[in-house]
Amino acid sequence: MISRRQALIGGTAALMLPLPARPAAPEYRLSPQQVADGVWLIEGARDSFGPRNGGAICNIVMLATHAGAIVIDTGGTARHGAALRRFADQKLGGVAASFNTHHHPDHWFGNQAFADRPIHVLPMTARLQAGNAQALSDGLYRILGGWMSGTAPLPGNPLPAGDGFGAGGRDLRLLALSGHSQADLALVDRATGTLIAGDLLFLDRAPSFPDADADMWRASLDLLAGLPASGIVPGHGPFARDSRAFVQTRAYLDGFHDRMARAADLGLAPSEALAAGPMPDFVGLGANPEEYRRAVIQRWRDFEDQALPLIGGSV
Amino acid sequence: MTLFLCHMLDSGAAGLAAYGGGAAPLAGKGEDPFDSGMWDLHRAEYLGDPAGWQADRGMRVLAPRAAEDPAHVPVIVDATDVQGQVRRIVVTIDYSPLPLALVFHPGRAKPVLGFGVKYEIAGPIRATALADGVPARMGGAFVDAMGGGCTAPAAAHARPDWQEGFGQMRGRLWPATGRLRVSIRHPMDTGLADGIPAHHLTGLRLLDGQGDLIASVDLHEPIEENPALTFTLPPDLAAGPVRIEARDTNGYSFAGEVTA
Repeated sequence: MISRRQALIGGTAALMLPLPARPAAPEYRLSPQQVADGVWLIEGARDSFGPRNGGAICNIVMLATHAGAIVIDTGGTARHGAALRRFADQKLGGVAASFNTHHHPDHWFGNQAFADRPIHVLPMTARLQAGNAQALSDGLYRILGGWMSGTAPLPGNPLPAGDGFGAGGRDLRLLALSGHSQADLALVDRATGTLIAGDLLFLDRAPSFPDADADMWRASLDLLAGLPASGIVPGHGPFARDSRAFVQTRAYLDGFHDRMARAADLGLAPSEALAAGPMPDFVGLGANPEEYRRAVIQRWRDFEDQALPLIGGSV
Repeated sequence: MTLFLCHMLDSGAAGLAAYGGGAAPLAGKGEDPFDSGMWDLHRAEYLGDPAGWQADRGMRVLAPRAAEDPAHVPVIVDATDVQGQVRRIVVTIDYSPLPLALVFHPGRAKPVLGFGVKYEIAGPIRATALADGVPARMGGAFVDAMGGGCTAPAAAHARPDWQEGFGQMRGRLWPATGRLRVSIRHPMDTGLADGIPAHHLTGLRLLDGQGDLIASVDLHEPIEENPALTFTLPPDLAAGPVRIEARDTNGYSFAGEVTA
């Protein structure tokens, strides 16, 4: 039997048929690949947040252990996190623990699906997650729509001091760094020598700069480059056994800095620097020109104050 | 012809072209290319309902497609290709609670002005050039925005002493291109943020070495905190010096001078 309410809804829906309805968000399709012994990479789309990728844009790493997977970053939405959790449960014997490399939402908005196990973050990351959750969530609901349904950001728990972590016979070296954001966690799987760099490294995808400190970032890259690594997982982009991600990330940082310093020193307005587009060598990177345009707005004032001397004040 | 300087960066000319050059979408005579509800009202209220107005792709407006930071949306307008001697450029934001951003009187400067605005909600920003004996010419750009720019407190109020550095003026003159850029440390309070009364710059003037007026801008609430303005001067004036004077709603005055 159809209730009056259902009939009304049905009637309304029929009336509204000619209008294009926003389709329900499709399922997340994961393509996990084993890049080293027991090291699973679920690569993100090399793009910005958008309705086509559902926010699944950052790389997720799962390390197989006897006690279940160690999960590094949990995805960009609750549903993305749930899909990742299903993979861990079905193929890797559940979850031992999770990490969020930093506080940008593509790396931790899937935490809900991992909340029954410890979720470790750097202390500063925990503060930034709590402080920015609402604003980040508002922004993503607006961009991703239905993909975000059910997502309620859940900050991680601050890690105690120390540079090691072990579970189920697998040992990790933890490196507390910064530069891409105020707190960036990089991890090394001791068994395979795989470096999981978080967003300190990008490859074939334009780096993002909302919280960047270029000098700190370069110092972190110097430190990471000094580690012996058999393979590198960047925060965004493909797994590589060579140093391309270091070369490209450094070149992008330097190229962007030079372009902004030059624009400000030549008297360009920020809107002109934005419209001029990315550095020619980096036009074709994933997520460009969008990331370049965002970065101009985020970082312009750093350069403008350098270019404009003090000439007066209140009289 | 445009006086935008994008071409001074590597492949910037191609970048500007790919960006659309700042031209508004195509529209028929007397049609609004943005098909937006507020234009009729704003045209009546802020432009005096000019007869024969037209959308004009020569009235260029460069703005980001997405605001990224609703408190600082950078814009530059260039009316070089608008027919006639441009006397005023009026900048309005369609769905802002305070739609009038500024009125630029180019005077002896080129009809080019860079500035930043706050955005409360996604919508078009428009620049309309009023020239002698020519119907009003409107250009614009659609800016997607999360909003909150006009009703959020200025960042300065998060600091223990917002007056620190208040009024500080930075600036520079580039004689080769005629560029003049000036920034003033000012909260630009709209009066819409809880418990913070309106306090914003109302006007800024450029004066030549003899103290004669070059150009002026009437500034309103939507202008960004710590605003930076970009002008372009003809070669004789670009040799400097140029004196910059500004005033705000609380009676403060600000002044500085740039030389070549």
